[in-house]
Amino acid sequence: MDSKQERELHKNAKELINQISVVLRTSQIHDTNNVALASAISRLVAMINTLVSQENILVLELRGEFFYINEYRIRYSLEYLLNFDFMVREFKKRELGNITFKGQIRSDDIKRFIKAFVDASFSQEPFNTIQEEMTNVRNIDVGVLKKVVEDESLDVRKMVKKTYFNAVSFTQGVINKIKSGEKVNIKKAKRVVESMVDQILEEEQLLLGMTAIKDYDEYTYHHSVNVSILTIALGQRLGMSRRLLTELGMVSLFHDIGKMDIPSEVLNKPSNFTDDEWNIIRKHPVWGLKAILKLKKFDDLTIKSAIVAFEHHMNFDLTGYPKARKKINIDLYSRIVSVADQYDAMTSARVYSRTPLSPDKALSIMMERAGTQLDPLVFKFFTNMVGVYPIGTLVMLDTRELGLVCESNQLFPNRPRVMIIVNETGNRIKGTIVDLTEKNEKDQHVRSIRKTLDPNKYNINLAEYLL
Amino acid sequence: MEINEDFKAARDIVQAILKSKKIIRMYPANNPIYVKTLEDSYARFTDYFDYRQDLVFKIKQNEITWDSEPVYANPEKEDNLALFFFKDGLRELTFKRGLTSEEMEDFLKIISMDFEREVVDDDIVTLLWERDFQSIQYIADDAILADEDNYQDRAIQEAEENANSPDNILKAYQDAFDEQDVASDTSIVPLSDADLQQLMQLLDQESHGKTEKLVDLLFELPYLSETRTDYEELTTFFMNSAEFIMQRGDLAIMNSMLLRLSSLISEPHIDGEIKNYFRRVISYAGNGTIINLLGELLDSGQEIEDKVVEEYVKHLDKNAIPPFMNILGELESIHARKVVIDALIFLGPKDITSLAKGLNDPRWFVVRNIIYIFRKIADKRAVEFLLRTVRHADIRVRKEVIRALGELGGGGVFQTLRECLEDQDMQIRSASLRALGTVASEAAKRIIMDKIAEKAFKDVDFDEKKEYFEVLSKWKDEEIFTFLVGMLKRKSFLFSSAKMDEIRACSAYALGLVGNRDALPYLTKTKGDSCKLVREFSFTAIKRLEHG
Repeated sequence: MDSKQERELHKNAKELINQISVVLRTSQIHDTNNVALASAISRLVAMINTLVSQENILVLELRGEFFYINEYRIRYSLEYLLNFDFMVREFKKRELGNITFKGQIRSDDIKRFIKAFVDASFSQEPFNTIQEEMTNVRNIDVGVLKKVVEDESLDVRKMVKKTYFNAVSFTQGVINKIKSGEKVNIKKAKRVVESMVDQILEEEQLLLGMTAIKDYDEYTYHHSVNVSILTIALGQRLGMSRRLLTELGMVSLFHDIGKMDIPSEVLNKPSNFTDDEWNIIRKHPVWGLKAILKLKKFDDLTIKSAIVAFEHHMNFDLTGYPKARKKINIDLYSRIVSVADQYDAMTSARVYSRTPLSPDKALSIMMERAGTQLDPLVFKFFTNMVGVYPIGTLVMLDTRELGLVCESNQLFPNRPRVMIIVNETGNRIKGTIVDLTEKNEKDQHVRSIRKTLDPNKYNINLAEYLL
Repeated sequence: MEINEDFKAARDIVQAILKSKKIIRMYPANNPIYVKTLEDSYARFTDYFDYRQDLVFKIKQNEITWDSEPVYANPEKEDNLALFFFKDGLRELTFKRGLTSEEMEDFLKIISMDFEREVVDDDIVTLLWERDFQSIQYIADDAILADEDNYQDRAIQEAEENANSPDNILKAYQDAFDEQDVASDTSIVPLSDADLQQLMQLLDQESHGKTEKLVDLLFELPYLSETRTDYEELTTFFMNSAEFIMQRGDLAIMNSMLLRLSSLISEPHIDGEIKNYFRRVISYAGNGTIINLLGELLDSGQEIEDKVVEEYVKHLDKNAIPPFMNILGELESIHARKVVIDALIFLGPKDITSLAKGLNDPRWFVVRNIIYIFRKIADKRAVEFLLRTVRHADIRVRKEVIRALGELGGGGVFQTLRECLEDQDMQIRSASLRALGTVASEAAKRIIMDKIAEKAFKDVDFDEKKEYFEVLSKWKDEEIFTFLVGMLKRKSFLFSSAKMDEIRACSAYALGLVGNRDALPYLTKTKGDSCKLVREFSFTAIKRLEHG
């Protein structure tokens, strides 16, 4: 297949997923005899048959948060974002992992599938319901959603850790090199960020989990990497391509580079800053711009990085610092970095602010700032990404269990996956992960969050659990 | 396919890769050798995939293996394919069935790039990653990215040492029952279509270049700068921006930047020393590197409005003259050269001496262009430089300089023009004669009259004689009238009567051009002259005088 055909298949595949979503959504409102639904079904049948005639067989599969068609991963597309999200949610709800179209299909086949799909939502065993109802539909097979194998998960976790620590170590090296006047290897920086982009695309939650651990000594380096990870994840939510995600990851990795010029006695001062010290701190965006422009010959990436370094403390309403004489339209990248930067800083113990906020508390404060300090649209995407209970939130469950949020759920933001650290009898345990979307036979959730607690108040070391 | 055959096929593919790598560097894509080599390489892949799904190569420092068997080994540092992959961390390369010829070509192009050159900002892994092949996979060792070998272990150990005591966790557990319920007050607002629309607009804006934005930020820096070093750095940033802007061909942004710098220079409240930094930037905007880039841009065929270039040139100072002269001889398109000539016409008066250095250029056409520029500038100070070029080896240059001398005039030019009237080359004599006509002074007139009056003048070729009289007729004064009438009435001698008749005929012709009707009686008389040439020229002159 040449790249033109590849592009064509990718485009058709995106449209196919979108059309399935349109059909399923419409079927929630109308019955299958409705004209609008019938027309949508006809279109879907035509699309499927065209693709089947080209490819012989068409397998639509959900893996993690992404759809694959005949093994090609269908990338996030902004125009179809809501429909893609809907599909992911509905497939997961029914434990439906894949649909295989084996030959030319008819409208009636699709109508049978729609009925099975709708019926499954009322069933205790939704996938079995779909499978049973589809038994007699010759050209359509369905498969159950595959669970991640534990061993694989361990390997992946190892890789994610490696990526994260490589990135921090690299960042530390870059800063040291710049300080000592050595040349910085931008090629390596790109590799670091590309690894993070890959991990975000494949294992977003694990890498985001790494950003929740805040107990390292070298705050600045971890903060730079955390912001880079958060922005890449957010960029992905915004539908950015891999190339743009790399660019965004790069600019955010260097957003605080100006801080290296702040005298260490100021930066590491354990007590509150004086006005003069604040004045020095407030210069780091300008110093950052300069440091980046001195780093290498100008190119698009250098310029974008310099802009973000300069603007990341300029607020959405143009308050903040540095103060510009002319009205500046703050770049989208700067607005994204600003959100990620605030979130990571607020939830971290810094030398000049020893008490970090719990993730949910930080989010709540940031919500008040949306529209003034923060771009409300970017922040909206951010909250949709991290959920009501971001990773690292300490939660008490209605089952009298105490746990840490280890994975957010983008489809059900208030039902994350939680690592139980104290069981219902008050004994400390380690590592049992529960999914708050789990339901009992009465269709009631097995566990729900009763309250959140501040992990910092109890000096709870997230690294012990999340690493 | 047997294992041995598989091994051989894998080894042949490595050889094909090596060969293609060389060919791609040597030939353009439309060259038959290039095309044939790639076809052969692709055939090796497709043969292999007839029987197998994947082709996996493991990469070591000096060796590439297939199925644990070495298919390539090279202990040298130069031209070592294994090392070439290995040094960027590439440890395994897999080609899958379904590999397209386009994918193979893209892969080969990537590995054929000159990674030693500074301009390539990506290593091989990044380029493979960006291309995102469907049928080529790789495993890269990212350990080379870490600055400190044991950073991960150290960081994890740190975290373990900080491990919390069970008491704290149990305290939290107890408190959870004591404290009031605190529900998170964060509510997630689902994304809407309007959000997506707004986002798409933002992303669209984001896709535009950011150079203008950077320039805007740089103009904030003067107000955030305090020390001399700050201004030195700012100056460098502006200079680098200027270079980048020209690389991109964003002349409008360049003009805006230079205009804003000029405005700052004219601000009365800004310190003179700071203004000097800005002046340095403006001067830099016309340096060799930037003007070379402009040259490339002009020659690229990209549509650029002449007005925008003119505006750019208006900002430049005299330092831009030498670089502009340098590219003048390099440019290929006529339009590009015209733009540069116009630029030099504008800049030249700022430093005539600098411009005059172009007269020493070894390329005749550059010298001729510079002379043309001097003509357009019309500054008499140029005469002293132009006079040195009159003896140039190329006649085209000589003609141009004589023309320029005529246009510029001044006392200094007569001696040279007079000498040129004696030149062996008819074109030079003609040019200097016309130049004297252009000068149109009494001295010039005298030179021509004297020349005609010379005894030897009768031996001059008829056309040249005619040209003399034609030029002389530009002076329409009494002296010329009398001189011409005198020449017309001149008697011819037996041995030179034909040559004298030519002079008389030319005088008749010139009287017609002068336009003084007082000449009619003389011409009416010579209309019946025994010499046919005199008769015809007299007749023509009468007609011109009578009918205009």
